[in-house]
Amino acid sequence: MSAVLAIAIKDLRQRLRDRSAIVLGFVAPLAVAWLISMAFGSAASFHTNVAVVDLDRGQVAAGFTTFVKSPELAKLLTVTSAVNAEDAKAKVAKGDLGAAFVIPAGYSDAVTSGNNRPITVLTSVDASIAGQVARSLAQSFTAQIEAVQLSVNAAVSAGAPAASVGQLAAEAAALRLPEQTITQPAGTKTLTAINYYAPAMGIFFSFFAIGFGARGFFLERNGGTLDRLAAAPIGPGTILMGKSLATFVYGAASLSTVALFTSLIFGAYWGPPLAVIALIVALALTIVGMTALVITAARTERQSEGFASMLTFGLVLLGGNFIFVGGAPEMVRTLALFTPNGWALRALTDFSGGADWTAVTTPLIAILAFGLGTGVIAFALRRRVVNQ
Amino acid sequence: MTALALAVAELKRVTRDRTFMFFIVLLPILVILLVGVTTSSSSNIRIGLVPGQSTPLATQLGNDLQADPAFTTVRYSTRAKGVDALRRGELQAVVVIPTTLDADLQSGRTTQIPVLVSGAIENNQAAVTGISSVVARHGATVQAALFATTHTSRAFAENLVTARTLQREAPVVAVRTEVVNSKGVVLPVGYSYSAPTMLVLFVFLNAVAGGAAIIQTRKYGVFARALAAPIRPRDLVLGEGLCYFALALIQSVLIVVVGAVMFDVSWGDPAAAVALVGMWALVGTGAGILSGTLFRTPEQAGAIGPAVGIAFAMLGGCMWPLEIVPQSVRLAGHAFPHAWAVDAWTNLLSRGGGLAEIGGYLGILAAYAVGLLAIASLRLRRSLVTP
Amino acid sequence: MTETTDSFSPSTAMSQGTTMLDARHLTRRFGTRVAVDDVSFHVAYGETYGLLGPNGAGKTTSIRLVCGLLSAHGGEVTVAGMPVSTTEPKSKAQIGYVPQDVSLYPDLTARENLTFFGRLYRLSGSALRQRVDEVLELIDLSDRGNDRVESFSGGMKRRLNIGASLLHRPSLLVLDEPTVGVDPQSRHAILESIRTLGSAGLAVVYTTHYMEEAEKLCDRIGIIDHGHLIAEGTSRDLVSQVGKKDRITMSANGSLAAFAEACRSMPGIERVDIADSSVQLLTEDGRLRLAQVLEAASRTGTSVKSVEVDEPDLEAVFLHLTGTALRE
Repeated sequence: MSAVLAIAIKDLRQRLRDRSAIVLGFVAPLAVAWLISMAFGSAASFHTNVAVVDLDRGQVAAGFTTFVKSPELAKLLTVTSAVNAEDAKAKVAKGDLGAAFVIPAGYSDAVTSGNNRPITVLTSVDASIAGQVARSLAQSFTAQIEAVQLSVNAAVSAGAPAASVGQLAAEAAALRLPEQTITQPAGTKTLTAINYYAPAMGIFFSFFAIGFGARGFFLERNGGTLDRLAAAPIGPGTILMGKSLATFVYGAASLSTVALFTSLIFGAYWGPPLAVIALIVALALTIVGMTALVITAARTERQSEGFASMLTFGLVLLGGNFIFVGGAPEMVRTLALFTPNGWALRALTDFSGGADWTAVTTPLIAILAFGLGTGVIAFALRRRVVNQ
Repeated sequence: MTALALAVAELKRVTRDRTFMFFIVLLPILVILLVGVTTSSSSNIRIGLVPGQSTPLATQLGNDLQADPAFTTVRYSTRAKGVDALRRGELQAVVVIPTTLDADLQSGRTTQIPVLVSGAIENNQAAVTGISSVVARHGATVQAALFATTHTSRAFAENLVTARTLQREAPVVAVRTEVVNSKGVVLPVGYSYSAPTMLVLFVFLNAVAGGAAIIQTRKYGVFARALAAPIRPRDLVLGEGLCYFALALIQSVLIVVVGAVMFDVSWGDPAAAVALVGMWALVGTGAGILSGTLFRTPEQAGAIGPAVGIAFAMLGGCMWPLEIVPQSVRLAGHAFPHAWAVDAWTNLLSRGGGLAEIGGYLGILAAYAVGLLAIASLRLRRSLVTP
Repeated sequence: MTETTDSFSPSTAMSQGTTMLDARHLTRRFGTRVAVDDVSFHVAYGETYGLLGPNGAGKTTSIRLVCGLLSAHGGEVTVAGMPVSTTEPKSKAQIGYVPQDVSLYPDLTARENLTFFGRLYRLSGSALRQRVDEVLELIDLSDRGNDRVESFSGGMKRRLNIGASLLHRPSLLVLDEPTVGVDPQSRHAILESIRTLGSAGLAVVYTTHYMEEAEKLCDRIGIIDHGHLIAEGTSRDLVSQVGKKDRITMSANGSLAAFAEACRSMPGIERVDIADSSVQLLTEDGRLRLAQVLEAASRTGTSVKSVEVDEPDLEAVFLHLTGTALRE
């Protein structure tokens, strides 16, 4: 067995004996992914409860109620009843309703005679999205009516005789709005919480390998076993290669296990298998580079722990492992691309959204470049490590 | 008093550790910043716009969408780029304005404006509804302008201007909005959400990780040495407790001050805020000392402690509001003190409550604190007295 | 340790008298400080060579240079004719290095430790397993082979520390102060085993600051101080340098400086060295001078607690050569 392999196996054996390495590398990410999957379940689509208070009982008002209760809006709304406006207000304030519509008495008459009697949309400070949706719905309904009025008034103001208003109105009423939206699937899949956070947490916890690797090195140095290794007939790079191999295996194993378990048990979709494997390999290599960087930059064991923690948390915060980076402002999203984990999440998010394997190419290069960069810096600092 | 002297010594030792200070000070601020910035932009529906040609009607429609307060609109030069953003969850819908919009509308034809969504169509109604409303109102002005043009001698362009002016200035059929309450029941998004919830999370997290320091002290044999001196185990326990309580308080004060100064967070009624901060620091202290007696090595405390702390915080509503999770999860979350602390902060910040309103929460937190401290002290004393 | 000479026989057959280790003009600096300055010595097959000197003399650095743990700024080392350096690992297979501190993996078992180190020396398979068993028996830890090192007592760890260096049957064994902080029983055992190893044909380099060990164990001794090898030879040769000088050791309190001055001005007193509350003198006919010395003590107001008069030994040699005592 080569010395590199022997050193790697020895390191891994020690790592396996350390319970905290098992917890952080394997147990914790799975537990957190489970928590998230429990909390968010399937893809969340917005839904709210509304009520219509019809104080008018006229034809137009009935038309509005029909509109709100239409089957196309069933997934968006559940229409419940409210006795009167006060009841509706109370329910909205309490949170039982996301919003409520109050159609005033005399509404239908006002509409047909061209007067203004607004529908009131009741909203709550806590349910701003429900309020906006309700307002949009009301405006969509009234837009057709508005078009008629607007047509007549525009014609009149453009010079049509005022006396012909009635006839104009009749003509205008026969028109239909010339533009409308048509909803189409974009060919993308909705991003679910588990698809985002399973890899995010998996990557976060795999970064703890940096701390383990760095600490292990300093323990060897302080414990004298590094000297024993140096006294053995092995080349100068052997120790480094053996330890790098151990770190690589641990990182890759941790990520792979999380990928496998979250896919099988929580139904998370990471992406096309080969592309995901490539990402895992690239991330594991980057972890090796970062471990080397921490070892060369730190002088003592405690310092190495500190650097490793700061590096881990800094990267993880920037890269969007804790917060869904899609919802963040553009600058935050751009900053995430300065981290290897940020790139990995971008690739995995693309896969989750339905992109094919080609989405892995740029992220893969970026991650490998980052790993290479850290390795280069570590190499430049290597004199600090060995007393040679 | 001996316990005080012990506390001061331990404090000095701990604050000298730069890594520890990173976790106490810098990290929470970074997280508050990040979470605050992210959540503050999430109260709007995010849509993408592919504007098509820069012809008048298309441009107007684009501007109408951008101006609508319900949306945060981002422009994309191509449909593919918009779809990429959609796929990444950065948007909820993409509006693709057809290149033939002006030609179609001006010649009296009807046109359809594609709105692209991810996944099932019925899952994205909120965004689609809003967009439909804007398109409909735009369509109304076009219809009016066309109508005026066919019935008078004025040109379409002029009539359009009139129609838009009329729509804006003299709304015929209006919708008015009335907000029924001024005080919310959930924490407002943005920094006012992230600051108090991160305070709860990080004080607890650091306390539990700080348990590692206690284990380290025990390993160094310092406790054994200290016990050989004429002090009672009780003093040692009290000393440790004081030290970690002080650390939790320092961190809390730092977060409160930074939140107020940098992010304009108002922490509510001062007396109530002080009481809540202090009570949570006590809970953290109990958890920290307990963690110090539960684990065998500092590495274990440093690894398992934060993992557990994060889990409790998630369940307790520190990372996302419990309003959006199923009822069962929300109930389960209230098994942990974090949920009660967040509830109390919500009361202070969103409803303007004071000591009276959060008295119940303080009581529950006190129960947690007492329980944790009692178990922790017992275990610590036992581990001190038995070799 | 059990005594079976076969297990110790070095793998390369060599005849008595052949040079095993040849260190020439070794020099090493740390910043501006010269830790080892032009140190040369050689060790023959079957010979036990001692490096004797106080703390900070350069013993450990010399050892690290010899074992190829450190790169030399000047000079070279050959073992069995092959050069040893940090960039030439092959020759290290001949060397068994026993570090001063116990250098083992506490979270691995004794067997796992030995197996791992054996692999580094190209042992494998059943040969490795057999050898591990042999060494475990050698160091009397056969029944503890599957226990983790962290559960061992200090003495057991030391035995394993040495055992790990014997796995690959080295021709040269290098021990760096193996008895520091060790209880008398274990110290005796360690010295015994080294003697056995030496008589089995191993070349041994043994650093220490304990004079008695050097005298008892080593065929030849090199005295090192401040990075220089200031004397070399058998114990008898070295002592004869001092001639007939006796060594008076006293523990005293008071104005030691004045006392030392008074002593120096006395005829026949060659060297005086004071430190803390002890005084060492080199003088001819110690018993005769003693009275004068004690009188000088009371004259200068120094109270003497204890007195020892020794015939010439290595401590005296050191004192003679350097003017300072070979202190612990």
